[in-house]
Amino acid sequence: MAQDPNIARLLEHPAIWRGRSANAQAQGLATGFAALDERLPGRGWPRSGLIEILVSRFGSGELSVLLPGLAALTRAAAARWCVWVAPPLMPFAPALAASGVVLDRVAVVGGARALWAFEQTLGSGACDAVLAWARAPRPRDIRRLQLAAERGRTLGVLFRPRRAAGESSSALLRLALEPAAGGVRITLLKARGARCAAFCLDL
Amino acid sequence: MGARLVPVRGGPLPEGRRPGTAHAPQSPAAAALRTVAATAVACPARELWAGVHLPLAPPQLGLLAERAQRFSPRVSLAPPDGLLLEVRGSLQLFEGLPGLRAALASEYAPFKAQLAFAPTALAALLGARAGTAFEIVEFAQLIGQLAPLPLTLLRWPQETLERLKRLGVRSVGAALRLPRGGFARRFGAAQLAALDMLTGRAADMRAAFQPRARFRRRRELDCELSDHGRLLAALAPLLAALGSFLTARQYGVTELECSFAHRHSPATRCLLRLAAPCAEVERLRELLAEQLQALQLPEAVRSCELRAQALVPYQPDSRCLWQPGEQGGSVRCESSGLIERLQARLGPDAVHGLMVREGHRPEHAWSVSPPPPATGAGASPAQGCLSRRRPLWLLASPQPLASEDGLPLRRGPLRLTSEPERIESGWWDGADIVRDYYTAVDIHGVRLWVFRERAAPHGWFLHGVFG
Repeated sequence: MAQDPNIARLLEHPAIWRGRSANAQAQGLATGFAALDERLPGRGWPRSGLIEILVSRFGSGELSVLLPGLAALTRAAAARWCVWVAPPLMPFAPALAASGVVLDRVAVVGGARALWAFEQTLGSGACDAVLAWARAPRPRDIRRLQLAAERGRTLGVLFRPRRAAGESSSALLRLALEPAAGGVRITLLKARGARCAAFCLDL
Repeated sequence: MGARLVPVRGGPLPEGRRPGTAHAPQSPAAAALRTVAATAVACPARELWAGVHLPLAPPQLGLLAERAQRFSPRVSLAPPDGLLLEVRGSLQLFEGLPGLRAALASEYAPFKAQLAFAPTALAALLGARAGTAFEIVEFAQLIGQLAPLPLTLLRWPQETLERLKRLGVRSVGAALRLPRGGFARRFGAAQLAALDMLTGRAADMRAAFQPRARFRRRRELDCELSDHGRLLAALAPLLAALGSFLTARQYGVTELECSFAHRHSPATRCLLRLAAPCAEVERLRELLAEQLQALQLPEAVRSCELRAQALVPYQPDSRCLWQPGEQGGSVRCESSGLIERLQARLGPDAVHGLMVREGHRPEHAWSVSPPPPATGAGASPAQGCLSRRRPLWLLASPQPLASEDGLPLRRGPLRLTSEPERIESGWWDGADIVRDYYTAVDIHGVRLWVFRERAAPHGWFLHGVFG
């Protein structure tokens, strides 16, 4: 892109922070889908922080999108836990194992007080990733969860109903997801340092 | 509490030497002949005893002895008002004798304690009783320092002391100068043995203090409490006592029981189970707070009691330089701490792991397992050939679906997108199944795992969601 040399010099000033440069800083966790990696800041899921996945119906393909990344996390040497807080159904162990998840790293936390358990798990530092399902968390709760995830250096994934798309949220990344022919259609609602976009992903 | 007899070998004499066979305490000729003994006399003694005399005799000497174990592992009681500590090994920790003296003095300041240090236990005790505050490190100075002390400090029978007094023997030095044979005959062998122990000529057999192996402490409350926060505050002194109890023994606790007594109702019990031994009071307090939140109290609490029975030797972990997840830092105690917090609040079954079982029926192909270990080994998982044909979510029990013209319905008609997969049999455990499984897509595009029973009435069921 051709640029005025004056502007180029101005942009070198250290006090100027450009949103796009965030990409180069934090190396994300590869999602396993090249098309998704390209559009996410850091070329993957953030390694620490809260992300939101909004679906209109449970089972729209949200777990399939997440699973390759989770599997890579559990396979790493000295991997920490991958915790599922209050899942609506029981994750089917043979299918998880078949998609590459090391079951030895997976823990499931029971359903009562899901938000409290989510915050505890995120902030404990014992987990690489924490997945949680919440119906109606308040913006204040989301803020606390985001801080806890950064404290524990954990990837927190919060699954919410699609209708929450209009609410403000302090999550690092928000994406809405709906089933499409042969895969899912993803809408990036919020991403630090990346363009919001909508695209299809083959599963 | 079982008392254990430990030989206290204070003297410079070689082992196997029986008390009473030597004559002059330290004659130059004997020292010249016995070079080993001579070097031992010249060098600092192998043991150093701190004697603590407590004039305001405390009611529970045992409690003081427990606390004294932070200065030395070898503590013995000299009832009713004395404590003895072998502190040779602790000198470096407390930066020498002055540092140790200051630490001991501040520990026992409330009891107006008097301290003395000597190479033999009895000499240290005598010095403390006399209030001379001497610090004898070498045997060479021992007799000279002991000589002026009055004999009454030895607490011999009154009648013996009277007879010695009539002979004009009032001090330790005067008694030591008497001929040994005659002394034993006239004043008793026990008294001669005491003098030998005093000077290190004979071994001083003292029962080492054995701390209690269980913790049980009760506190009566000034007023009845029903507020959880105040109850936790009321437990704080008990927890502090537990902390020093555990530190003194290098124990950790895995089970802690807290019971609250009421005026009418039976006591409320609250049991805290830990995933790993713990000796940190702050962590125990946090867990107890979680547990108390969920506790239902029938009425106000009059007294509380803390009991710890499952004590195990505790080795604190060394701390990592890196935080977990940072620069490859690994997890040590975080996961057990997390399990404990979750279990304390949500119940004992709050956390579990998942495992695959050998079984072709979906319900029998997995089971829950205990929580996984903290850190993974970086294993590679077994790749199954069925990966694409199994859903990620399984319903706890199949959910019946309505059907229309032999096809299933769920919020509209379901479209079957796969060939049937037949899963059957299981006669050996009474859960026999005969099913044809299909992948189906509902009108919103959600992929489901449904089956049709082969048996009569051929009902359709939802069994999984691909997610």
